Amino acid sequence: MIRRDFSERDIHMALDGELPSDERAAYDAWLDANPEMKAKSARFTADRAALRAAFADVLDEAVPARLRKVVLGEVPVKASVPRSRWWLAAAAAVLLVTGGLGGYFAGIDGIGQEDPAEDRLAEQAIAAHVIYAAEKRHAVEVPASDKDHLQTWLSNRVGLKLVAPDLTADGFQLVGGRLLPAGESKAAMLLYEDGNGQRISLFVTTESTENAKGTYAAAQDGPEAVYWLDKGYGCAVVGSLPRERLAEVARSAYTQLVNGLAS
Amino acid sequence: MDEKKAAILGEIPRLRRYARSLLRDRDAADDLVQDCLERALVRLDNWQTGESPRRWLFTIMHHLFIDQMRKVNRRGEAAMLPLEAGEAVAQPAEQVESIASREIIDALQAISPDRRAALVMVAIEGFSYAEAANILGVPAGTLMSRIARGREELRGLLDDTARRRAIRIVEK
Repeated sequence: MIRRDFSERDIHMALDGELPSDERAAYDAWLDANPEMKAKSARFTADRAALRAAFADVLDEAVPARLRKVVLGEVPVKASVPRSRWWLAAAAAVLLVTGGLGGYFAGIDGIGQEDPAEDRLAEQAIAAHVIYAAEKRHAVEVPASDKDHLQTWLSNRVGLKLVAPDLTADGFQLVGGRLLPAGESKAAMLLYEDGNGQRISLFVTTESTENAKGTYAAAQDGPEAVYWLDKGYGCAVVGSLPRERLAEVARSAYTQLVNGLAS
Repeated sequence: MDEKKAAILGEIPRLRRYARSLLRDRDAADDLVQDCLERALVRLDNWQTGESPRRWLFTIMHHLFIDQMRKVNRRGEAAMLPLEAGEAVAQPAEQVESIASREIIDALQAISPDRRAALVMVAIEGFSYAEAANILGVPAGTLMSRIARGREELRGLLDDTARRRAIRIVEK
């Protein structure tokens, strides 16, 4: 067995498969004799597994047609001008400290694209839905069992008279709600669930200065938002229901919400 | 379809993964891949038969990435001022990430681009030190110190996040 002194550097080499195989046994013995180094090695191994897991799905994604077309030479000359947007993200990344949830919500607008208020509302609502509707135990801050408090609390924080719509006629029960950041202001999110565990959410904010309505989907197979904007408030209903059903539930929620605001 | 193009097509998923780890935002990452593919096609003749298409393409893409990062750094903050934070991080809404994935991706974005590239090249893409050093155009010793520092920095950032999370829970 080769005898030599090992150091932290060898932890990286071992992890990356760069440690000569005839040194492996001596290295393992060194690790066993140095709990601190062993812990470090375990931690780096775990971090690497997390890194790999975080990006593993990218390999399974369908290759975007625009990339295939470049290789196959099917791109019209005009369209093949050099991309320039991506480095804006790189530039921004330089400035950014690790973004928490605030960064997430602030960041969903994309780069250099038009950012009309309705898209922003819908994207915020979808982002919130994607995160919280998937949570089993921590989906809401205040449960439906405390509905009066939920309504009072969210009304005070958001600055609207918020009445949680009753969607039982549509098969949905209130699960509860939470307070979220929305641009410069706040938003209320109410989560509903049907008998099959299918969830939809209602997202309400005061950040609105225009009138608009429509539907919005951030991804082809992702959840869809049906939204309304009025002066003074905006609302979006998000879910992965068939489009017509979502529209129906959303209309019912919106009608009740507006009546609640006026009550 | 000729063999070279087929080989390039086959590398796109890995190029996309590398770009995503460098840039996070999906569209921005695909723009980088597209720039890389366009440059590769123009230089198809430079690609030696027998040379791994993966190494060749990763080298092209890495140069594009680093060149732009340098330009960005030289321009300094002034060039970045018009960018709202909101236009910046840009995490696609359709991307469903677990909390753990989001935390590690955020942490990865926060370490220096040189270290990020070195670490990802070896830890995710599975290149050997020799291959990675070659692609990044740095001596093996430099590569190793970037990997070591990158890992330490990543660990520190993850610990900070975990600590902040713990504090939030306590405050509730």
